[in-house]
Amino acid sequence: MRTLLLFVPVLALLAQTPATKGRPAPAKNFKEMGSPNAPVTLEVYADYQCPMCRNFFLEVVPSLISDYVTPGKVRLIHRDFPLPMHAYSKVAARYANAAGEVGVYDVVANQIFKTQNEWEQNGNVDGEVAKVVKPAEMLKIRELVKSDSHLDDTVTADVAMGNHDNLNQTPTLVFVSHGKRTKIDGALPYPVLKSYLDQLIAKG
Amino acid sequence: MKRILLIAGQILLAAIFIYAGIAKLREPWPQFAVAINSFQLVPLNWLEPLAKYVPWAELLLGLWVLSGFLLRWSALVTSAVLAFFFAVLIRSYAMGLAVDCGCFGSGEGPLGPKRLAEEAVMLALALAVSIAAFRRRQVPVTPDPTIA
Repeated sequence: MRTLLLFVPVLALLAQTPATKGRPAPAKNFKEMGSPNAPVTLEVYADYQCPMCRNFFLEVVPSLISDYVTPGKVRLIHRDFPLPMHAYSKVAARYANAAGEVGVYDVVANQIFKTQNEWEQNGNVDGEVAKVVKPAEMLKIRELVKSDSHLDDTVTADVAMGNHDNLNQTPTLVFVSHGKRTKIDGALPYPVLKSYLDQLIAKG
Repeated sequence: MKRILLIAGQILLAAIFIYAGIAKLREPWPQFAVAINSFQLVPLNWLEPLAKYVPWAELLLGLWVLSGFLLRWSALVTSAVLAFFFAVLIRSYAMGLAVDCGCFGSGEGPLGPKRLAEEAVMLALALAVSIAAFRRRQVPVTPDPTIA
């Protein structure tokens, strides 16, 4: 009986392998990056149509990822906070989250920010996203954007969280360290962000 | 009467600076760094020292004014500081910068005529206290005829 019990985990592992092999598993936490054990979690509330968010994501986030997220010092979470004043923010968030379901979140979110000046004129997010993903992936993204009724669930949850954090602008950064949430409104320049993160990490 | 007005102005001026300093110190320092950066006036490596020490300087300046020690000089320094802030705000408004003043902590909203008017009133108060303090010190002392 004991020998049989020892085989159970092995059999379970074998049973899972064929199902996951050969396709990128769409990460449920595609909006998260970095070690869950990182001493600091940084939540970035952003609106895809906000120019300051665009600057923050294109100019600050790459250095943040290489210096802090990849080495496991910071866990980075993207939170959607589409502002009512922006006509296409929700559509853009929908495309990004559909891309997340397909497994290409980072490349699509980056493209949406990069081409903000183009699609904010006419709302053609689709055209800009199609430039950076494979045709098969684009078909899946379009299908999800068109028909997935749960695609905005994470946006709704993020907005609720943002309201709880008393958000009044984007980008807003929330630093979570030792269970304490510290909110900073506005885009932090990288040297300031770096110094503050070092301060929080040193405390940990 | 003039003396009472001077003391009232001195207390009000001190309260403004003490409140401004405490409001900033209650927030994490990067919040004020964001506000300073929005003025596009100083290099990035100045942001951290300015964000950390300017609030303390405001608090100490407020306490100095409140103490009444060398009042004409403390009032003069506050006038100079407020004149500088006013000039910076005028420049930012003229340039159309999306500035969050951060003067009394975050969440003050965008810079507009109302904020400029408030700053002008504070500057006028500081100048009035300075002038009154200097005039008080300039009262001529009557020579004592008994002293040879």
